[in-house]
Amino acid sequence: MIRQFKTRDEILSMIPELSPEALAALTEAGIIQPLLAEGEPRFREIDAARLQLAVELEEMFRLDPEALALVLSLIDQLNGIRGEMRAVLGALAEEPPETRARLRRVIHEIRILRVQRD
Amino acid sequence: MADDPYAALGVSKTATDAEIKKAYRKIAKRDHPDLTDDPAAHERFKAASVAYDLLKDPEQRARFDRGEIDAQGQERPQRRYYRDFSEAPDNPYRGQADYGDFSDVFADLFGERGFRQSGFGGGARSFDMRGQDHRYTLEVDFMTAARGGTTRITLPDGNVLDVNIPAGTRDGQTIRLRGKGAAGMGDGPPGDALLAITVREDPDWRRDGDDVSTVLPISLDEAVLGAKVQAQTIDGPVMLTVPRGASSGQKLRLRGRGLTGAGGKRGDQHVELRIVMPPQIDDDLARFIETWRKDHAYNPRAAGGRGR
Repeated sequence: MIRQFKTRDEILSMIPELSPEALAALTEAGIIQPLLAEGEPRFREIDAARLQLAVELEEMFRLDPEALALVLSLIDQLNGIRGEMRAVLGALAEEPPETRARLRRVIHEIRILRVQRD
Repeated sequence: MADDPYAALGVSKTATDAEIKKAYRKIAKRDHPDLTDDPAAHERFKAASVAYDLLKDPEQRARFDRGEIDAQGQERPQRRYYRDFSEAPDNPYRGQADYGDFSDVFADLFGERGFRQSGFGGGARSFDMRGQDHRYTLEVDFMTAARGGTTRITLPDGNVLDVNIPAGTRDGQTIRLRGKGAAGMGDGPPGDALLAITVREDPDWRRDGDDVSTVLPISLDEAVLGAKVQAQTIDGPVMLTVPRGASSGQKLRLRGRGLTGAGGKRGDQHVELRIVMPPQIDDDLARFIETWRKDHAYNPRAAGGRGR
């Protein structure tokens, strides 16, 4: 797979709302971690999408860098789990109905039954 | 796509720049595709973004208002949202997932994740996560479950715990021991231990809902003449009045001596009487009964054999 890397200037023109100062601050805070090639930052597609979201979150919710880091980390965790869940569900969809029924019973036991007495 | 950017933002044609910005922010907060799963929200956000891109620029807005350009021309190249990348298995910004007890299962299914970059400033690892719940099965004897009491258990990790069994605990109930599960991550609290209770059967005690029943053996003379005899209850022995002329199978009810029910109210105890003959029928007894039978014969089966 060919990865497309973008330079700092390309990123700045891609995301008009992003000022050079803001990009420097986000990089400084570690919220964006571009690759370094010959001392120059190289931005991957994921960095570009993350920057776009970071700018929007800052703007929408007026987040400071720490809060922004937290929100992005939660999104990373949630989406990672979502991706894994999708993979598991995809695998389960291929299983015969009996297997799914068995799993359903186990899941029901773990997740649905409520503790009656504390 | 929205033909009317004002409608997409829900503002009037005379809205100020500040109002337009506010309207866009409101929609973005609610409908941003990276913050919600709702497909309809994605469409609303897309329409609002296009509209905002057009209207936030006074020159473009004026040209649109004069009919020189239409809303379509403004669309940005297809945007890829962060979720497209962050759901991927190789998201370098995501910390190591921890599925607690199931880490091995996870690794087995998904493999160890290949290249790993540490998260920003260790941020992802500093997360606080509640520990896993641990599940156990615990058998208690009938009396402990009925009266309540303490049972000492040893958890697989070597911890010894005194578990308080509440009075009236039923078979299949679960007792939750807060904080006795797996340790939490970071500052996250530990999980709980969940004890599924099995109540061991007791030959002397039968249970029916909140009521319990027992069998009380009585002697022939106690049955004939009536007596005060000692009977066992959950709370200890009590004196029970056996009525004169009691029969086997007759039941006496002890109110409020059953199990503690859900509302804290106790059920009843049913004591079934059972006449036990003396170990030997001696001549005195046989002679007396023979004499007695001559004038007092009766047929207990006359009532259909119900024995009462």
